[in-house]
Amino acid sequence: MRELSLNVMDIAQNSISAGAGLITIEVREDRGEDTLSISIRDNGRGMTPEQVEHVTDPFFTTRTTRSVGLGVPLFKMEAEMTGGSFSIQSKLGEGTVTTAVFKPSSVDMIPLGDINGTVSMLVLMNPELDFIFQRSLITQEGDLREFDLRTTQLREVLGGDVPLNAPDVTQWINEYLAENTAELLAGEA
Amino acid sequence: MTINDLAQACRWKLLAGEDGIDNPVDGCYVGDLLSWVMGRAQSGNVWLTVMGNLNAIAVAALADVSGIVLCEDSALDQDAKKRADMQGIPVYSCGPNLYQTAAGVYEQLSGLAEQLAKI
Repeated sequence: MRELSLNVMDIAQNSISAGAGLITIEVREDRGEDTLSISIRDNGRGMTPEQVEHVTDPFFTTRTTRSVGLGVPLFKMEAEMTGGSFSIQSKLGEGTVTTAVFKPSSVDMIPLGDINGTVSMLVLMNPELDFIFQRSLITQEGDLREFDLRTTQLREVLGGDVPLNAPDVTQWINEYLAENTAELLAGEA
Repeated sequence: MTINDLAQACRWKLLAGEDGIDNPVDGCYVGDLLSWVMGRAQSGNVWLTVMGNLNAIAVAALADVSGIVLCEDSALDQDAKKRADMQGIPVYSCGPNLYQTAAGVYEQLSGLAEQLAKI
């Protein structure tokens, strides 16, 4: 895909389809090691070992509307094309962790894109679910910068009456993500 | 025109998917970014690319293209070949690059080659 954030959206949709109540999205960059790692963890219904084995095969899909599923296979291919790696760990009844590691210096690296937009959209469209978004950056000098967004914390602050998809909440999330991303990338982007 | 006719005229070599060589062709699409091609290549297109992996076969199946041409002798993976055979998606290979190959396809599909032959 043109942006890795679209892959994140796609994988998170799988988590939602799997009945997850909590989805954790981690984006970790290490400039010294030249890695960008993206992982999506959920507490959905998980998969059998047979399903895990086949999930990177585009001709294996749980869809009934068509016989081809390319979300996971493309994410894997994009990571491997940069010289990175890909893994899926899943346990039936417990959930799934999908991890793709990229080498950002590769000429075949696809830009991360609007990851904040993806996270904001996921919260907006699924106000009944919980999301954790964690982003970190280790600079060339070895300094760790990080921030996170936790919808459980937002719920505590908002109380029971204000839903997570209220316009003011969406706006606050967008600003919070934008500010923290700017701080994280200051002098590094 | 079938993809087999086109392949003969353009001197492509069949690598897999023989069952589909009579698929009709009425257009062409060129691209390597699979997610992009997936939403844009049309049924009846011959798809020119350098991506010879299993995902490319899946994209071809999804977009219902007539067949794939791997330009600049780019390789077809073993599992992709197997799947193309199973799905009956013809996969060809050729030496020329995407531009040269597309120009050849245009000559054939537009009838230009036929006109030139008369001169």
